[in-house]
Amino acid sequence: MILTGEEIKKQVALNRIHILPFIKNNINPNSYNYCLAPELLEIIDNPIDPKSEQQFRKIQIPEEGYVLQPGHLYLGSTMEEIGSDFYVTSLIGRSSVGRLGIFVQITADLGHLGAKHRWTLELKVVQPVICYPGMKIGQVSFWSVKGEAKQLYQGKYAEYSSAHRSEIHRELSLTTNEITQ
Amino acid sequence: MILSGMKIQEKVFSKEITIDPFFPSQINPNSYNFRLGKTLKVYDDEILDPKKDNKTRLIEIPSEGYLLEPTKLYLGHTEEIMGSNLYVPIIRGRSSIGRIGLFIHITADLIDIGSINQWTLQMHCVQPLRVYSGMLIGQVTFWTVEGEIKLYNGKYQGSRGPMSSQIHQDF
Repeated sequence: MILTGEEIKKQVALNRIHILPFIKNNINPNSYNYCLAPELLEIIDNPIDPKSEQQFRKIQIPEEGYVLQPGHLYLGSTMEEIGSDFYVTSLIGRSSVGRLGIFVQITADLGHLGAKHRWTLELKVVQPVICYPGMKIGQVSFWSVKGEAKQLYQGKYAEYSSAHRSEIHRELSLTTNEITQ
Repeated sequence: MILSGMKIQEKVFSKEITIDPFFPSQINPNSYNFRLGKTLKVYDDEILDPKKDNKTRLIEIPSEGYLLEPTKLYLGHTEEIMGSNLYVPIIRGRSSIGRIGLFIHITADLIDIGSINQWTLQMHCVQPLRVYSGMLIGQVTFWTVEGEIKLYNGKYQGSRGPMSSQIHQDF
């Protein structure tokens, strides 16, 4: 089941959902709006090869905004630390942002139980669009689970508190056996 | 939990879910197929600015269809008025539409509970693609909720036809 906005508020007060900072005004009927942190990473490799570490250019979004260009991939991050040991998060955009053609994730909206950090956003635009630091860019919903959580998330992105590149090259350098172990 | 197709139909008949017009033939095992309405909206400016009320222009889809270009964003709308005060809707394309490279939302699949409207579709194609008014373009699922319900009463309530972003109201 998906939590209503009122239930998200209640679970934040009970410390069963972590949203920091938490602003009551950012509650929606069934989600919470998060904001865009001021630093972006623009991937500069062409082509991108998942077997090697990607190279990035850091962009500090100025107060007057920064124009995102089509054909580029930018990694951003949420201003907020978000997560829960009890509910599964799904991070998506807001319709107001989708209506301007800004993708905030690329077919990977599902968070892991137990991951509590600033989430990396995968930004791509259809037409050039200006983004502003701190703008309300997306929403997160929380879902109840059935079954025991085998283990909470302790994966490779758990420790990061800003936009972080793909670490898939670490996986590809292992053999299939090492990954399944 | 996600409602089955039969449950969606039952809830439409008991008026706990609005789908208007509703055709039982558009029910899937766990979703309902919706149609593309006849109007599209495009932005006039090349660079979009969330702080501005970006100017738009309307396009009526002719009977021979309308050609979408990959470099352009199109706002479409569902032909149906849909929503619920009890279940949360989530929209997405049909696999038949994904297989021809058409996005029908831009990472905003979640609809607020209480938003009973013709929903705006955020359309973007990977390759040039023709769309037709009335085509079955997407599917809606309905999900049960946990917690007290406060219904949507936001800036897109009452939407008919495609509605451009009102995000400038945030600033």
